[in-house]
Amino acid sequence: MSIRILTIEDDQRIRTAVRFALEDEGWSVLEAETGEQALEYFNSTIPDVVLVDIGLPGIDGFEVCRALRRSSDVPIIMVTARDGTSDVVAGLEAGADDYVTKPIAPKELSARIRALLRRVRSEDKAAAPRSIGDLDIIPDEGVVRKSGDEIHLTKTEFHLLCELSDHLGKVLSREHLLEQVWGYDYFGDGRLVDVHVRRLRTKIETDPARPRHVVTVRGMGYKLQP
Amino acid sequence: MPRYRGLPWRRLPLRARVIGAFTLGAAVAALVLVIITYGLSRQSMLRQREESSERQFFANARQVQSSLRAEDPDFTQLLESLPSLSGSRSIIRTGDETWTSLSLTPNDLPSELVIAVVEARDARSLRYRLDDQPVLAFGLQLRPGGASTLDEVAYFELVPLVEVENTLESLALILLVGGALTVLVGVGIGFWASGGLLRPLTEISYAATSIAQGRFDTRLEEVRDPDLAALVNSFNEMAAAMENRITRDARFASDVSHELRSPLMTLRASIDVMEHRREELSDRTKQALDLLNDEVARFEHLVQDLLDLSRSDSGPMENDLVNIEELVKATLELTENDASLEVIGTARGALVMGDKRRLAQVLDNLLRNAQKYGGGVTRITVAPNGGKIEIAVEDSGPGVAPSERSLVFERFTRGAAARKRGAGDGAGLGLALVDEHARRHGGSARVEGKSDGEPGARFVITLPRAGRR
Repeated sequence: MSIRILTIEDDQRIRTAVRFALEDEGWSVLEAETGEQALEYFNSTIPDVVLVDIGLPGIDGFEVCRALRRSSDVPIIMVTARDGTSDVVAGLEAGADDYVTKPIAPKELSARIRALLRRVRSEDKAAAPRSIGDLDIIPDEGVVRKSGDEIHLTKTEFHLLCELSDHLGKVLSREHLLEQVWGYDYFGDGRLVDVHVRRLRTKIETDPARPRHVVTVRGMGYKLQP
Repeated sequence: MPRYRGLPWRRLPLRARVIGAFTLGAAVAALVLVIITYGLSRQSMLRQREESSERQFFANARQVQSSLRAEDPDFTQLLESLPSLSGSRSIIRTGDETWTSLSLTPNDLPSELVIAVVEARDARSLRYRLDDQPVLAFGLQLRPGGASTLDEVAYFELVPLVEVENTLESLALILLVGGALTVLVGVGIGFWASGGLLRPLTEISYAATSIAQGRFDTRLEEVRDPDLAALVNSFNEMAAAMENRITRDARFASDVSHELRSPLMTLRASIDVMEHRREELSDRTKQALDLLNDEVARFEHLVQDLLDLSRSDSGPMENDLVNIEELVKATLELTENDASLEVIGTARGALVMGDKRRLAQVLDNLLRNAQKYGGGVTRITVAPNGGKIEIAVEDSGPGVAPSERSLVFERFTRGAAARKRGAGDGAGLGLALVDEHARRHGGSARVEGKSDGEPGARFVITLPRAGRR
């Protein structure tokens, strides 16, 4: 079955042009004009990737992200016309896996989508289960347990945790994580890492304000420790 | 911009001037005090000594006078019997003979005093130095009477002033030390007072620097001091007005660019869809598509520059340690530019604190600039310069005339080379952005001629170096 991409965008011209461009990649594209319409659509079909515009009439893109995250870990790419820190961080906090800035070239957009899809499927890559302090990570099943209770992580968060645990106790730079987890080259946005680490902490740390597992090493990056 | 420069003295740092004024004041006060104290003490001590010596001199003179009544006065014994106040010594001179106290010779008496005494027939005194010791000498012509056969007798007394002089010397020393201490205290007070005086100025300067670095919400704390309150209030009002205006301008520019982004996205996607079907198009349509493609690319760049300029006016910067060499390499790779890169000396591995995407944009704009107006990049160098790192992009174009060198970094200005290319090419934002971003990173941008004298421009970005990792 072909990959289904849901674009949520109120501008009909953009929607159509983007649909054409993505269909050229061999994907099938579903369109939603508003957030409400997208959520309704979501009740019946789960797409493989969601592109959500921030500036929507009615409920905005941030709200759509949060609503989708409540029920699903579907990969979400936020499409924003503003790449100021507040918009980007708010979108990532709301649950987006990645963001792109308008006007994005379709080639770049499809590269982002492909990177996300790769991440979703990389569970196939067999890796041994591991225990880090009170955390149990089972890459094959995509499951993380904290003191025996299963924690729900998005694919990106899970991938980030796996990457950190692959190098237990070693400091990984933001560039390294951007490349390994998001598939970015040199110019990836470090804020992606920061926000995802923050979100990961709220899920796996007993006290997210004083993280024990995912530690920030100032000026260098992050490391995972038991 | 006209600036008041003032007198040479005013060009000294304010603090130095305040301290200088305090020091000068203290020095003058100390000097006056020392001179007056010394003068008065000296005068009164000398007068006291003179008066007591004079009293004794006359008493002794009366004794000598009375001894003259004897027929043959034994002056030697007399001289021994005369009371001596603090080591005073006496001399008696008759017409042809001279008697002196111990350790004195007739020649010890200054002849001017002898002559004055003899001529005046009256008491005279004189201060002079005997054997390098200060001495006060008194002399009086006596009138022998009674049985005396002598007709000319003069009595002299030499009073040593060495004690007085020693005391005065000690006093002078004490006064000098005191004066020096006063000056030091003056310097100290000047230092302290100027610190207090300048603290508000220092705070204002910090606040202004902070605003210049983009934290437009910086304000000074309210103060009670009425003199300062006016300054603080007007500074804060100015900062608020400026912040308002900057955010308004920035919002306008960002709104405009934002509105331009949506149609651009449709254009870009549609062009890509057409590119995908390039083979289905006729030659003429292909050409038209290429034109469209180029123009949309230029438009995208313009909107991006505008947006970045509006953001660099307002938004905060990402701060990361950026390896300059890696950055330049990555940018060259991204823009598919194969210009030769030369990294010199300690610039290898040098780090800069900043936003790498903006720095890459700076470099990208310089590369584009060289491409468009300078006949392509000939060389890129990254070199250390003191605590800074210089990235230089050289081209082999016509160069930039010295008179235009600061102008090319202004918004919407274009150099002669750009004007020659016609109005449609570039809006004059690229270099403005280079300048803004360099400055937001605590650095600067400039253009110069090539060092080897060949025609061409050399654009240099200077960035402060961050500590090593």
